[in-house]
Order: sequence, then C-alpha cells, then structure tokens
Amino acid sequence: CILQCFLSLAVFGRAIHAIARISDEFWFDPVEKGLALRSVNSSRSAYACVFFSSMFFQHYCWTAVSQPCQQEQHLSLPCKLIIKSVLPVFRCANVLERNVEKCSISTNPSDHHITFQLLCRHGVVKTYNLTFQECDPLQAVFAKHMCPNILRVHSRLLADVMIHFPTSQEEITLSVTPMKVCFKSYTEEDTDFSRTMLTEIQLSPEEFDYFQVGVDSEVTFCLKELRGLLAFSEATSVPVSIHFDRCGKPIAFSMEDLLLEASFILATLCEAEEEAASPGPACCPRPRDR
Amino acid sequence: MRFRAKIVDLACLNHFSRIINTIAKLAKTCILRLTVCKLYFILSDKVANGGASMWCELSQGNFFDEFQMEGVAAEHNEIYLELVPENLSRALKTSQSAKAVKIKLTNKHCPCLRVAVELPSLSSSSRIVTHDIPVGVIPRRMWNDFREPSVPDFDVSIYLPVLKTMKSVVERMKNLSNFIVIEANLNGEMNLKIESDLVSVTTHFKDLGNPPWASEDGCQSSAQGRDLESMTEACIDIKKLQQLLAGQQVNPTKALCNIVHKRIVHFILLHEEVSLQYFIPAIA
Repeated sequence: CILQCFLSLAVFGRAIHAIARISDEFWFDPVEKGLALRSVNSSRSAYACVFFSSMFFQHYCWTAVSQPCQQEQHLSLPCKLIIKSVLPVFRCANVLERNVEKCSISTNPSDHHITFQLLCRHGVVKTYNLTFQECDPLQAVFAKHMCPNILRVHSRLLADVMIHFPTSQEEITLSVTPMKVCFKSYTEEDTDFSRTMLTEIQLSPEEFDYFQVGVDSEVTFCLKELRGLLAFSEATSVPVSIHFDRCGKPIAFSMEDLLLEASFILATLCEAEEEAASPGPACCPRPRDR
Repeated sequence: MRFRAKIVDLACLNHFSRIINTIAKLAKTCILRLTVCKLYFILSDKVANGGASMWCELSQGNFFDEFQMEGVAAEHNEIYLELVPENLSRALKTSQSAKAVKIKLTNKHCPCLRVAVELPSLSSSSRIVTHDIPVGVIPRRMWNDFREPSVPDFDVSIYLPVLKTMKSVVERMKNLSNFIVIEANLNGEMNLKIESDLVSVTTHFKDLGNPPWASEDGCQSSAQGRDLESMTEACIDIKKLQQLLAGQQVNPTKALCNIVHKRIVHFILLHEEVSLQYFIPAIA
C-alpha cells in the first residue's frame, strides 16, 4: 500500500517508546481506517497494539495496491521494522513537538522503504529512510468482554501505584476481591525473604472509575513490559481499563478514545505450572488463539 | 521483643527521610539500635567496610509521635537490628505527602521492619503502602561489638569549610586520585591535597577556626605551647570522604573534624536533632 500521513508527534513518539518495551521490532500495519503498530515479545508472553485512527492524522491517505498474488481480503501487507532504527526519529518526544512542525510517513512498497520525514523549524528537513521486511500479519485475539473482572482507572493513579515498586521489579501480583484491590511484589515459594524487600499497595474500589470483580483472583504479570503503556497513557491522559480473569489467563491493559486505541496483553503466571523449567509465563496470547 | 512507632508530622517525616538517605550513602548494611529514648545507626570498623565506621544518634522524641519499644529483656531494654538502609530510604522516598507512617517489627517469613505509609487518596479510605524490610536480629552476646567509639586522642581539631564547597572540591579531586591528604593546624588552616604521576593539586582553606575542647586534665586543650602552624595530616580513601559529603542534604549546625597524625580522621556533623560521627582510618 502507499501511505502518506502527517501526525502529532509527542503521542506517536510515546507510542513507539511504549512498544519498544515489548520487543526490538514491531509491525507497521496501515489499513484504510488507520495505522496499527503491533509488537510481540520473543516468548510470546506480551503483545502490544496501538491503533491510530485516520482522524488522528492531519492527512491520511492509504491506497491499496493490488498485487497479482494477493487474493484474500487483506489488501495491505504489514511490514516489520526494527524499533532501534525508528526510536532515534522520535527521541525526546517533548523536544520534538517544539522543534518539528510536521512529520510525514510514507511507504514505498516497491523498494521496501518507509520514509519518515521531519519538517523542522528554520527550514531544516530530516529524512529517515528505513527498510522494512514483509511479514505475516500479527494479531492477538482476546475477548475482553468475556472477562469477569474489569477495572477502569485514571492513568495518574496507576503511575502513583507503580512508583512504589523499584524499577528493577520484574513481576507484580494484582489481587482483587469485591472489597479491595492490592498490587504487591511477586513472591514464589523459594523466594529468599531474608534478602528481599516486599512492597504492597492496597486501594479501595472507590478509587476506580469503574470496578467490577466477578471472581476473586490473583494474577501475576510482568511490570517491566507494562511500564511502557503507563508512560503512554500518562501522556495522553486517557483512562486505562484492565480486563482479566483467574490466574493463567491473560490480562489486558487498554485505553481508547476517539483517535486511538492501545492494548497491552500480558500473560499471567499460572500456579500449577510454576514448577516448569521455562522462565516465561505459561499461557500466551497466540495469534488467532485465546 | 516489640517495636512500634508512628510519625504523623510531615516535617518530621521529611527530616527523618533525609537522615536515612545520608546513612544509606555511607553504609550498605548497618546496625539500627533502638532504646527507649534514642535511635542509633552504627557501622562498626570491620575490614569489610574498609575500616570506616559510623555512629549516628537521634532522639526519638524529635521525630516520632508514638514510640514503644520492649527490648530483649528487662535489664537489657534495647534492640539491635541489622538492615540495609537503602531499603528504608526507598520505603520512605514516596511518603512525601503521607498522612502517617507506622513502623513495626514483625516476623512473618522472617524478622522484618514493616513500614506502612498511609497516603491520601481520591476516595474516603486512604491508600496504604506497606514495605517489608528484612532485618537481622543481633543477639545480645554481640552487642559489645557496637559500642560508641571514643573520641580519639587527636592532634588537631578544626571546623570544616562550607560543606558544599568542600564537596565540589573533593568530587573533582576524585577523578584524579584514589587518596586524599587532609592536613590542618591549630591556626584554622586546612589543606586538601592529592597527587598523581602527572599532577598534584592542593586546595587551601583559611580562617576556619578550631573548636575549643574542654577536658578533665587539659591535655587536649589547644594552646599548650604547641606550634600553631604545624600541620597534622592523614591520607585517606577519597571515595569515603566523597560519600560523606555527598550524603549531606542539609547544612549541619556544626561540622568539624579531628585528625590524629597519620592514623585517623574523625568527622563530627551536628544538626539540631541528630549527630553523626564518621571515622575514616588513614592509609598506611
């Protein structure tokens, strides 16, 4: 396809930074309705998708280019980009907004390039030509509406909660009952308690914009991967919804407004399979899988 | 053995946090000694600490609104705990706007200091953040290892220069050498010297003043026919000095050091409610 769009930098840049927490590469997937950025980590235990509707852009033009071998409904073929090569374009999102007047992204499928062009002040134009790899589509299917537990909270609250955990904290456990919500450091049977500092934060259900707990549950997920979304949601001030079930089933953190939708779906640890040798969490959101 | 304490006043809490931050910069692990009236943070001069030792003393009444302590036994009404001060510093770091902070000694999986911070929230009930900091209980037979060090028989005692200035000088010197010589005389003069293969740098301070030390037999009083100009010096690890200066977040009311020629430098930093002594041995 051919895509040309102009966009608001700070938000877009933050989305890229958020996705960078998941993996080194991401899928750049323009469709008629907008642009999706997706990523999955190597153990397939974390998936992120940020979708910018065409209205997010000052100008969005997507043209399907039909190719002889393309027969199914996907007229566009997503491409894979290495995040490391894109990050420098969007480094320092704050500073960017001040210095850059316009940013345009255009794709040229015939020579496998995506061009990011920043039109800056004083007539300076920065052009980044990045090669992409064509690849299979990536999409996690997760039936959010079937989750018994749904919390919605302002992004500021989540940030205020996570600040109490050290930046090195890998995994945390979210424990809910209809009466209270608790985020705590994850511990397992062989944790050396004499050496580990444990932190726990208790919140009342009243602090949430929306609070539904259908089943008492305790889910453990990777905090490091989530931090990207937290920073992104703080920048956009869009509230975050948390959909989850019992342990072992994935947990989804998502945000949605008129212009964009973001979802981070993380696998959660399953008690029964903790003894397994593999370091990664047990259940993963597979493409086309639940 | 029981310990429960509570801080409600924000100014006291911030002050206490600052003290813990200073301690955390000086010691990876240290001893917290609790008595009915005071708290002590102690680092003994074991080889593992590079020979440096620390004694920090504060009156609990100046910080805590509630303080209840029951020691190991009636005649030994004290508690000695070994802990990592950085953990305590981290627990207090995000309590800047707390309604109250409670500290309690508990023993769930192992002995811990449980720090519970009650934070304001958007709803009617507060947010509670709890940190469990693992501690080691020091048995009574080892308490003698942690007695207050006595003031050494020093050759010169002198007030320190403005700490901020001293800190920036030492920080720059740290890039050039691992050791620094502190020398001072009874005429209020102090020099900080470093020397490497390529360069030697000396910073001179004047008019610092020498504190008057009263003592029973007068043998430590300053004017005893001693040559006021002669310098007493000690060569110490520059990193230890830099850590001491970097950890000072507030200007002390009094800051001085006692130097025993080529043996040890004894720093005393006094604030209104807390006193800190730090001993750095000289490098042979």
